[in-house]
Amino acid sequence: MIACGHSNDQMSSCVLDEETFCRCCQLFLEHSHSLCDGWSWQLVKGSEEGYLRKVALGNVRIRTSSNPNQITDQYIQGASSDQRQGRTSPFTPHKENDDDHNDEQYYDDDDGAVCCMQDSRSSGVIQYEYHILYSYSYQTPVLYFRASTLEGRSLSLEEVWDGVHPNYRQRLQHGPWDTITQQEHPLLGQSFFVLHPCRTEEFMRPVLQAALEEHRQVNYVVTWLSVVGPVVGLDVPLSYCTKVPAPSHTSPSPLQPPALQTQPD
Amino acid sequence: MSDNAESPTETQKCDPSTTQQPTEDSGTTDEKKKIDVLLKAVGDTPIMKTKKWSVEKGRTVQSLSQFISRFLKMEPNEQLFIYVNQSFSPSPDQEVGVLFECFGSDGKLVLHYCKSQAWG
Repeated sequence: MIACGHSNDQMSSCVLDEETFCRCCQLFLEHSHSLCDGWSWQLVKGSEEGYLRKVALGNVRIRTSSNPNQITDQYIQGASSDQRQGRTSPFTPHKENDDDHNDEQYYDDDDGAVCCMQDSRSSGVIQYEYHILYSYSYQTPVLYFRASTLEGRSLSLEEVWDGVHPNYRQRLQHGPWDTITQQEHPLLGQSFFVLHPCRTEEFMRPVLQAALEEHRQVNYVVTWLSVVGPVVGLDVPLSYCTKVPAPSHTSPSPLQPPALQTQPD
Repeated sequence: MSDNAESPTETQKCDPSTTQQPTEDSGTTDEKKKIDVLLKAVGDTPIMKTKKWSVEKGRTVQSLSQFISRFLKMEPNEQLFIYVNQSFSPSPDQEVGVLFECFGSDGKLVLHYCKSQAWG
């Protein structure tokens, strides 16, 4: 069950049990298949444990080896030119507001795009492999990933930090070791990057609390992935929000890990 | 969010690939048109004095997030989380106009925001 809060209700703490995790993953997978979004369920040999896996290509900022302080920017963020000139504000207070801000314009100097020198030697295309595992100690999902260039070179931790979406960069720089580190994959024993799960509860709680109050349920994995995915370049299309149901607590669980659609490793 | 917790009836429009292309309108591009956004704080997050905003459709969630962060004078070690439909965190690159099409009701898009030092 998913639980959040302090009542006797099923949803009474912000943790996730493994069975519900599997159910959430199954429902998640069904939508992924309909979108051809590339997720699959992987079983670990000799075990009933499994995880969600996806391989994707993406652009990332890479420090060029010749000039470590120069970042090649492969992103184009959405700053418009007249924004920078301060001519129009994208954010204006709604006219119905009672406050006296109506005549003020709030300028958003979006500095999300920093275009530096393009280095033709760095390809900028990175292959990411994402794994969603269940953590027994945290009772939450955990995102593991690894990244390599198309030539097969694994990215370093610093390069991965460089590749974090600008929206999260400032917070990351304040505590990089709180966020993304390099660890051994608990099922595969290989070196992966991992997004720390220790505070998943903090950003899941508002969602679970609201659902509890409104007597509805959420798909924990969908909500969780929507928060953590974009940090490391993993896109979660909006349709996951509306098309993936929450697991039903009344139906029997057909979704023990071996029943999930699998692919050979 | 409002009582409207069910999915939009026209679920097709939540697929960004089928979003209609902007049309010309008296010389104004679609992205310049504004939508109404209602910002709601959750938990201990400070409540913005001004909650209702008119936002250009083409603005991204990241842009809005930066705006709220500055408005709330957030510390560098804090992270803002934004939720749509109280169940999903839209991608920072998502345009608010698309969110409005999928989740807008009563002529506005309700977004919940939460400040945290959390990560992971």
